Amino acid sequence: MTANTTTPATTAYHDPLARRRLIQTIFGRILIYALLLFGAALILIPFFWMVSTSLKTEDQLFVWPPKWLPDPVAFENYFDSWKQLDSIAPGLTFWRIMGNTLFITVLAMFGEMFSAAIVAYGFARFRFKGRDTIFFIMLSTMMIPATLTMVPGFLVWREFGLLNTYDPLTLPALTAWGPAYIFLLRQFFLTIPRDMDDAATVDGANTVQIFFYIMLPMVKPAFLAIGVLAFQGNWNNLQAPLIYLNTTQFFTLILSMQFFQQSLSKSAPKWHYMMAMATMMAAPILLMFFTAQRYFIEGLNVGAVKG
Amino acid sequence: MKFDADERVSIAALGKLDAEGPRIARYRELDSFTIGDTNYVIGATDPFFFKAVWLTLRYAVFNVPLGLIAALCVALLLNQSVRGIGYWRTLYYLPAVLPAAATALLWWWLFAPKSGLINWGLGQVGIGPMGWFTDKNLVLPSFIIMSTWGVFGANTVILLAGLKNIPPELYEAAAIDGAGTWSKFRRITIPMLSPALFYNLIMGMIAALQLFTQQAFIPTDREDGWFLNWFIYNEAFNSGRMGYASAVGWLTSILIIAITLLVFRSSTAWVFYESSREGEGA
Repeated sequence: MTANTTTPATTAYHDPLARRRLIQTIFGRILIYALLLFGAALILIPFFWMVSTSLKTEDQLFVWPPKWLPDPVAFENYFDSWKQLDSIAPGLTFWRIMGNTLFITVLAMFGEMFSAAIVAYGFARFRFKGRDTIFFIMLSTMMIPATLTMVPGFLVWREFGLLNTYDPLTLPALTAWGPAYIFLLRQFFLTIPRDMDDAATVDGANTVQIFFYIMLPMVKPAFLAIGVLAFQGNWNNLQAPLIYLNTTQFFTLILSMQFFQQSLSKSAPKWHYMMAMATMMAAPILLMFFTAQRYFIEGLNVGAVKG
Repeated sequence: MKFDADERVSIAALGKLDAEGPRIARYRELDSFTIGDTNYVIGATDPFFFKAVWLTLRYAVFNVPLGLIAALCVALLLNQSVRGIGYWRTLYYLPAVLPAAATALLWWWLFAPKSGLINWGLGQVGIGPMGWFTDKNLVLPSFIIMSTWGVFGANTVILLAGLKNIPPELYEAAAIDGAGTWSKFRRITIPMLSPALFYNLIMGMIAALQLFTQQAFIPTDREDGWFLNWFIYNEAFNSGRMGYASAVGWLTSILIIAITLLVFRSSTAWVFYESSREGEGA
């Protein structure tokens, strides 16, 4: 039943076990699809519940047995949750939050993408003394857990006097701090034959032009995968904004959500608001996923070197 | 070994911030290595530290292999020439796309003791309501269930790709030699998948030991143990004990490296790389 080869369905003679095999196959197929559907239910039900809760009014939340479909549908939750946050932290409207978050995320994303590409280009195309040593050292920084750099990083930025600004969140992205990204891009750059470089040089291109017009376009899938990963990483990042940002005006989306949650009572938080916020936070990422799936999945191979 | 009275204002007392101006924490001056030594000793006597280490360790050790086994099962299932495999793959990958904050909030709600969906479902089959995140004994399983739901899709996709890379000739040759299903699985599928499994195991462990966002959104009782990353954050920025937090951070890192090395060492026993061959020649 689990063989990867298919046996021919027709034989030259009458196979006494044909019928039994057919029944076995059908039964097997049914079992497989049943299991897959069961798994699909396990996955989809929480999603559905999240959206359903976000559209309920407060009294519908604790109805027993739980209602699956909200009635009436409370679309205003999506606005009221932010209004409530605004009442705790004046001036922190939804648009302000989105502005903050997008500013940081987009800036950091482009910073990571391009700095990783440039560094990878250097590692792939240039020969210099100690190149491989430096590459290895860079890779080994992957082993340094974020936990360790949390406190020292904070102290360093404090010395710079740049706490409570966006600098700690965006500037490091420009310094090519993603060894995994650099590694991936370097591998891809290495697969580009040097003939292309040479042909371009003959045509009068300098290094920068080769980089932008030849190297980058040829690794577009990997480059975009890194972009997606970088966007996701910064959009979901809680630790850094939590440590560095103090004034509520500057809060990012995820930080605002956490701040809001802290302000609610633990035993009866406003689930409908929280689910609305969670859905809104997830929506851009999910949208990106549905439109650019292959880059997400490609991004899974970051670090897993192929051939 | 006493901490003198704080004139620290907590930088991240988020519930009490006012929007007017920033509050910068003043912290204890980090003074050479004496403080470091003191902090390490404190770490060894702080009960909350041990709870944190124990919780985090158990979480990593149970969660990652469980997730891999679940992912392997699903990947095997999907490998059976299922129709519409792209759609199934997308579907199973979906929870991994959901941001950790949303996942945490969702499952906190699902696991709510009185009004959560899970307890309602359990009630339908006659099992009493469980405390989940509020019950000391169920905190770890709750986190494990939540994380497995969230992450196993990513592992599934990777393992599925790995399965597709196994040359079918191997299975044919085994079938000719009379190998049964289990034998084929154990002697072909697992070894050929072992590099991918190994990679996922390592990366999964490193990530699991640094769990942060989920703990931030699910307020469990400190008595029941917090995860190490959050524990360090809390010590550093809510309690102002930066030196101590740094010391714990180092201990955590050593833990991560030690576990990684352990898994690496064990890998020679079970990871099979096609490029390296030893044993009988020719």
